[in-house]
Amino acid sequence: MRLLWLSALACNGNAHALLNYPHFEEWQEDFEWLYHPLLPSTHAFVEVEEGIEGVEILIVDGTLEEGLVKNRLVYNELLARYAAEAKCIVTVGTCATFGGIFAQGGEGRSGLHFSKERRHGRFDDFWEKTVSLPGCPVQPEVLAGTLSMLRLGEPLPLDALHRPKYFYAYTVHDGCTRNEYFEYKIDEHRFGALEGCMFYEHGCQGTFTHGSCNKILWNGVHSKTRAGTPCMGCTEPDFPRETLWRTSKHMGIPARMPLGVPRRAYLSLAGIAKAFRIERFERPMMEDERG
Amino acid sequence: MAEVRLELIEKIEGEAQVRYFYEEERVDFAEILFVTGRGIEKILEGRDPWDALTINPRVCGICGHAHLIATVRALEDCYTDLKLSPKARKVRELTLAFELLQNHFKWFYLTILPLLDLEAPRRSVLEPSRILGEMIALLAGQYPHNSYAIPGGITCEITPVDLHGVRQRHRHLQKLFRRGVIDVDLEAFVRCDRIEAMLKREGDLPRAMQRILDRGWERLGRSCDRFIVFGHNDLFVAGKSIGTRLQKHLDLRYLRESSIEGSRARRVLYREKSYETGPLARAMLLKTPLTKEAHRRYGDSLFSRILARVCEIPRLLRYTEALIASIDLSESAWIDPGPLPEEAEGTGIVEAARGSLIHRLQIKEGKIARYRIVTPTQWNLGNGSREEPGVAQSALIGLHREDPAELVFKAFDVCSVCTTK
Repeated sequence: MRLLWLSALACNGNAHALLNYPHFEEWQEDFEWLYHPLLPSTHAFVEVEEGIEGVEILIVDGTLEEGLVKNRLVYNELLARYAAEAKCIVTVGTCATFGGIFAQGGEGRSGLHFSKERRHGRFDDFWEKTVSLPGCPVQPEVLAGTLSMLRLGEPLPLDALHRPKYFYAYTVHDGCTRNEYFEYKIDEHRFGALEGCMFYEHGCQGTFTHGSCNKILWNGVHSKTRAGTPCMGCTEPDFPRETLWRTSKHMGIPARMPLGVPRRAYLSLAGIAKAFRIERFERPMMEDERG
Repeated sequence: MAEVRLELIEKIEGEAQVRYFYEEERVDFAEILFVTGRGIEKILEGRDPWDALTINPRVCGICGHAHLIATVRALEDCYTDLKLSPKARKVRELTLAFELLQNHFKWFYLTILPLLDLEAPRRSVLEPSRILGEMIALLAGQYPHNSYAIPGGITCEITPVDLHGVRQRHRHLQKLFRRGVIDVDLEAFVRCDRIEAMLKREGDLPRAMQRILDRGWERLGRSCDRFIVFGHNDLFVAGKSIGTRLQKHLDLRYLRESSIEGSRARRVLYREKSYETGPLARAMLLKTPLTKEAHRRYGDSLFSRILARVCEIPRLLRYTEALIASIDLSESAWIDPGPLPEEAEGTGIVEAARGSLIHRLQIKEGKIARYRIVTPTQWNLGNGSREEPGVAQSALIGLHREDPAELVFKAFDVCSVCTTK
């Protein structure tokens, strides 16, 4: 299957992350890169501007900007030309999907279909054939897996923002090693420790962020939240929010609730959990259990 | 006949344009232009200073970890009495060094070998890149784009199990280096000062260097022969050198940035002079034997530049091995430094894969009032005038139409995305 990777305002993180895919070499045998920003490709970028044939999947990377010229042509026009031809379009990363960080750096910047969560409509003709893969960067397994499923014509159920449910129906919270501290409402967390949950004080967005970070581990070994770094919500339309490392609160309770959980339900459960003092959560994990 | 030709240089973490001015078949002048920009420095203004820890790794997909470390150092510089445990300092040094290693492998295999018409199995780059990503992730959560370094230390506790995983991968990596890049004993190679001895070994490095000699390119790409290194640790020394004359003392007050017409990159000068930064500069400051010998023979050419960069790999491998062995896991991963001052200024300096990276910030009323990033590519690729050309410009000027201009250009390892921050 022939892939054309076009980057607008990007950091190349998605392209580099993909190289970490453990089976990259074998996976790549099923694809031909008409253009890729790092890897040897069939065409030079200048040829892509002049016009190439046979694009099957268009991969859109980076924040779009009105009037952006990468070499000779207006990038958005180039994009529209290949988008019309492609069977399918995949937006890789939060920049290409929702605008991301760089959308905050200038006027006229957005994702392919979205400015944050709002559909801007400029490329609406292509909406039906677009798959959204947000993430900063997108996990290599998510991108490689999606492309393979598209190649094989396997069903790929999408949510309202066109994210494949297989990867984005989970929250980043799912599979976090700190989950018990969340369940039992142990709100103390100190950086540099194995224990504790960053939801209460340190801005962790894992419970309301769509993604498989703690299911498909990063680099196959770890995740930010397991490593004590709060989830920054990098797959979400409003990434990056302000004051990322501090939890904003209403009346002493985190302002944002876990995905789909009504505030009342949360408060009731928290009240019950907090009524108990569970000794195991109050001592270091590596200390001996007490009789 | 005078002629002007505009070329797009691609696959350099983005693109750049070079406008060549030919005179009598030779490059008479060259302008290097970066036509896009993202505005990271502006995005940071008005934000909580800690947000920079999340945003700045996203400056760059290949050397973003260096941006994180520069950020945390700039934030820590705002405190007057911040404490950092040796463990936290060492773990940060480790993950940063792993990124340098990964970048060196990627550049050598993805950028340099194809320009020499040499092939290597794709796994020669994929395997070390993936393993190094895992090594960073074991300590920092993920790669690329983690934010595990925070004022006072690191977010995570490191267990012996994590360190074991790092150690095993380190052994694997050493094996891959010897099997692919050059078949040598690391210790002996670091001391080696004979180009011929290096060329006699098996591996992609001797193949590449021999190819450059066979084509008679070893003296191409010579530039200003001035080098600068701002970062300082157990592996690198800071200072500047003009040819082989060293001066250890540097003062950031002499650093000056200026905008370039038609380009989104700013040029950077030290005492009004351009300097080369990066592995060749670091090797010149350290007088590492093999690079010193290459420089003696061929000057600051693409031969010396490529050799210097690949020769950092064994030094980094030995450095990281010693670091891993010296980590005392009983120390604190994080020592609470208290809140950042409401008004402060800080500077963070890092030796990134491509050279010195400098972050400077100013905090006012608890928010980022100003943030400035000077990247290695600004030093090396910054545009100057005909009278005072920049480093890469000087390397391109004088090339014959038949000469490998793209190789000369890419031997600097351009990071377009960093430059168009």
